[in-house]
Formats: sequence, structure tokens, C-alpha cells
Amino acid sequence: MIRTQWRDRLIYLAMSGFVAWHTLAMVLAPAPDNSVIAQSLRGLMQPYLTLFRLDNLWDFFAPTVGKGSQFRYIIEDADGLRHTFVPAEDLSWFHPSYFWFRSLYYAIVDDPELYADSTAALLCRKHASLHPVAVTLLRYDEGDFSPEDHLSGKHPMDPEFVTVNTLKRVECTDS
Amino acid sequence: MGIGAALLLHYSLATPYLLDFWGDGGLIPRELALKDVSDPWIQSVFFYFMAPWQWVAFHAVFLLCCAAFMLGWRTSWIKWVVLVGQISYDYGNPILSYGVDKILACLLFILCLAPIGHALSLDRVRVVRAAKLKNLETVLPPYSSQWAGACTRLMQIQMAVLFFFSAISKLRGDDWWSGDAVWIVFTTGEHYNRFILDVLAPNYWLVNVATYSTILIELAFPFLIWQRQTRPYLLAAAIFLHLQFALLMGLFYFSFVMIMGQMSFVRPEWLARLGSAWKQRMGEMEMIYDGKCGFCVRSMASFLAFDGLGQIKIRDFRANPSPVVSDAQMEKALYLTLPDGRALPGFEAYRYVVPRVPGLWWQVPFFYVPVLSRLFGHPIYNWIAANRSRLSSKRTASA
Repeated sequence: MIRTQWRDRLIYLAMSGFVAWHTLAMVLAPAPDNSVIAQSLRGLMQPYLTLFRLDNLWDFFAPTVGKGSQFRYIIEDADGLRHTFVPAEDLSWFHPSYFWFRSLYYAIVDDPELYADSTAALLCRKHASLHPVAVTLLRYDEGDFSPEDHLSGKHPMDPEFVTVNTLKRVECTDS
Repeated sequence: MGIGAALLLHYSLATPYLLDFWGDGGLIPRELALKDVSDPWIQSVFFYFMAPWQWVAFHAVFLLCCAAFMLGWRTSWIKWVVLVGQISYDYGNPILSYGVDKILACLLFILCLAPIGHALSLDRVRVVRAAKLKNLETVLPPYSSQWAGACTRLMQIQMAVLFFFSAISKLRGDDWWSGDAVWIVFTTGEHYNRFILDVLAPNYWLVNVATYSTILIELAFPFLIWQRQTRPYLLAAAIFLHLQFALLMGLFYFSFVMIMGQMSFVRPEWLARLGSAWKQRMGEMEMIYDGKCGFCVRSMASFLAFDGLGQIKIRDFRANPSPVVSDAQMEKALYLTLPDGRALPGFEAYRYVVPRVPGLWWQVPFFYVPVLSRLFGHPIYNWIAANRSRLSSKRTASA
């Protein structure tokens, strides 16, 4: 009887301890770690937060929404013609690939040094029917777009609202 | 159930892209995707795969586990496979990870710790069925435990923390202070929505209202969700907010998972009240069966195991003859009697019950296909009823 009582108490204590621990982890994960206390607690909890994928900032669309940037590319064919592609236009909200491809395009425009070559090689293969000679990767940075602009029939991706940056031109080696 | 359904749909749709996005030589080569990953605590089963068939096999197992998780089958271990899978996809290619993956990992981890599977699940159906096989009249009490309560609380805290930090991180940005954030969101390529811009552009005050309301809801949620009086309003506001995200921004998966997380704030008494109201609206139903027929008893046990609200009363006509249906009629088929005096036999009895008992809704497609259900249902039922003694003895012999 006494053993059962103690066992129940111990279980209750362990459960309470875990609830406290996990609550601390949930609060600590997004909290700024400027203070010494936060830093030392984070050091203690980091493996737990990382292993179970709990380390998140919860900063959706924050602190600023920010202007987007769009990935486009131009395929140059053997006849010297240039074909422009806007891959985002092929995506649909209703399929999760929308977000995967978006993330991929963001990775390319944010870090072209890292991703440009592999992406270009892939695009050369994808458009093999055009007999591509080279592919030029572009980043379209979106600018300010006011309600008046919208009311006058303009679109945020019209040339006057975007800045075009060439990320890299890569020769298609297989063609 | 909801999270399992969301995961199943999401990752089923990922199947054609499995090797492209998570494989070794796909759109993002592994060494590039993991270039910043040096922490040994970041783990994914994909890190250990060498051949494409391993990805395919794991994906297939993961989808099956998501389906089992949705149905609540063997949840005590299935939930861990689902968590490992979710984290593996997430860490397997961190570039693809976005908000909903993070929320899912947090909620799934708590669900793994929680004693899920004790309600609204096939596991619960199995337990109830086992009890009813011993005695059809048995009514198991709803499962409750201190640990289940603690895990619900953890999920609530998780949602409150998420809302709180989401709000205060917005307060650090000029777009939110100026009241323009919602306009900017809808003008970006990712969330461009011509219809909503048509509405907002001539009525820019709506943008301000929407922007400040978003912050207000997110900020109020972690403080006012705990009070009994304010909880329904905050919950409704949060659900409304996420429905807007789904419909206007295309964030369907994210919004659905967030709403599932918010469901942790639904009070058990609200559900109980809803259940009672449903039960009252549907009226009493009494199923009269043959208690001497082993097959009939087993069938009743399986059928009643899905009746979580206890809407169906039962009567063994051998021990307790019905005043409405004669014994001669009962020899031919099971009957359902209703308060208005109607008595529905066999297939029609089941057909009446299925849409009125929420746990049996999954059977609606079988009973309500126009023409075909009745065309095949009646002869199948009549054959089973006519041969029930034989079916009972077969089972007894095999046992």
C-alpha cells in the first residue's frame, strides 16, 4: 500500500517535472537569448530542442512582410533565340509542391553561388528539346506597389515595379 | 485524426517528388541542402539511406503509418513512426521546410507523449468491442487520466506561445505598425490575389483593420484564451483568422494544422453538450437482435463499438421479447424500432442508423449509393440472416 502510494507520488512528480521542462523548452525556443540566463538555459536544452525539431522562432511574416523576389530564367538555344520561363507561374496553391518549389526558387535567388550550377544543369536537361546553349538565371526583386497602382490596372510584376538581377549565366555542357 | 489526415494528404502528394526533393541526386543535392548542418542532434533517417529504393520503402511505410495515425490504429507506436518521419522529411531537406512543418513537429511530439488512441480511434473501438463481446450491455466510461490532461495543457501552452511570439515579432516591424502589412502580403508574388486587391485598393482602411486585427488576435490569444468567458470568442477569432489565411493566401495545410492545434482548447463539456444535443435530435433507437446467434452478437459488438455516444439501445428478443416486433419476424432479421412506432428490418435498420451515429459515418458510402446500395444490400443481408446459424457454428468450430 505504502509502496503504491510512493510510486504514484513519484510518477506524479516525474510528470510534473516533465511538463515544467517542456514548457520551459517551448518558451525558451523562440525567446531572444541575449541574457546570460537565457544563454545558459539554451545550452542545456539545445540538444532536446534540436532533436525533436522544437527550436522555432514563430516569426511568421515578421518583423516585416518584406518584398518578394521571383526566380526566372532564360534559355538560349542554338539559333541564338532566348526563351524566358517563369517557373512560379506553373505552380498551384492547391498542391503542396507550390511551397516546395517556392522554397527551392528562394534558395536559388538567395544563394546563387551555391545553387546556380546544379539548377542550370537541371534546366539544360529539362529543356533539351530547345537545344540549349546556355541558361541565364534571373532574380526579379519586387518593389513598392500602391493601391493607386492597382486601381490603374497595373500588376506588381510589371517592369516598372521590379528590379531584374542576373544571378549567373551557365553554359549547357551536354548540348 | 485531423493531423493524421493532413499528413497523409500532404505526403501522398509529395510522392512524385520524393527523390527530386529528398533524394540524393535530386533538385537539391544532399551536400548542398545540408551545407549548414553540423549539429549532431539534427537527425533524419534519410541521412543513412544509400539507394533510391530505401527512400521509396520508407515513404510507403510512412504513408501507411499516417493512415493508421489518422484512424487511430495501434497509435501507441505508430505515432512515434509518424514523428520520426515528419522530422526526417523536415531535416532531410531544410530548404523546403516552412512554418507548418515546425508546428507539426511540435504538436506531434506532444501527441507522442500523450495517451492518444483512447477516444475517437480504432484502438478505442477495439477495446469497446472486446468488452461488448463479453457482454453487449457493457458501457465503458470515457477515458481520462491526469497525464492526458497534462498533455492537453502542453498543447495549449504550445499554441499560446506560438501566438504570443508571432505577435511580438510582428510588433518589431514597421509594416505592421503602419498598418500596411496585409496589403504588402497580397501584392507579393507568393500571395498575389487580384480579387482581394480589388476589394482592398478602394477601401484601404480595410487593410489597416485587417493588419491591426491580426496583431490584436495574436496578442490577445495567449492571455484571454484561458478564461472561461473569453475562450469561445478567442477560439472563434483564431479559427476565423486561419480560415482567412487558407482562403485568401492559399495556406490550406498551415491553417488546417493550426486549427487542429487550437482544438486543444475545446472544452470536454462543450463536446459533451454537442453529443447530447445530437443524441436528442436523432431520437432513440433500439436494435433487437438474436442473442442465441453467436454471429449476431459478434456483429452487434462490432457495430456498437462505433457508437461512441451510446445512441443505440439493444434488446435480445430471446431474453426480452419486443412489444413491437413479433418473434416470428425476429427469426428472419434484426429489427430497429423507433419512438414513432416504426420497425425497420435488416438492411433498412442499418441504413437508418448509419448516418445518425457519427462513429458510423464512414459506412455512409456503402449504404447510400443510389440504387446500388439497396440492390446489393438487401440480398447480402438476407443471405447472412438466413445463414446466421451456419456462420455462428463455423466460427465456434474454428475457435
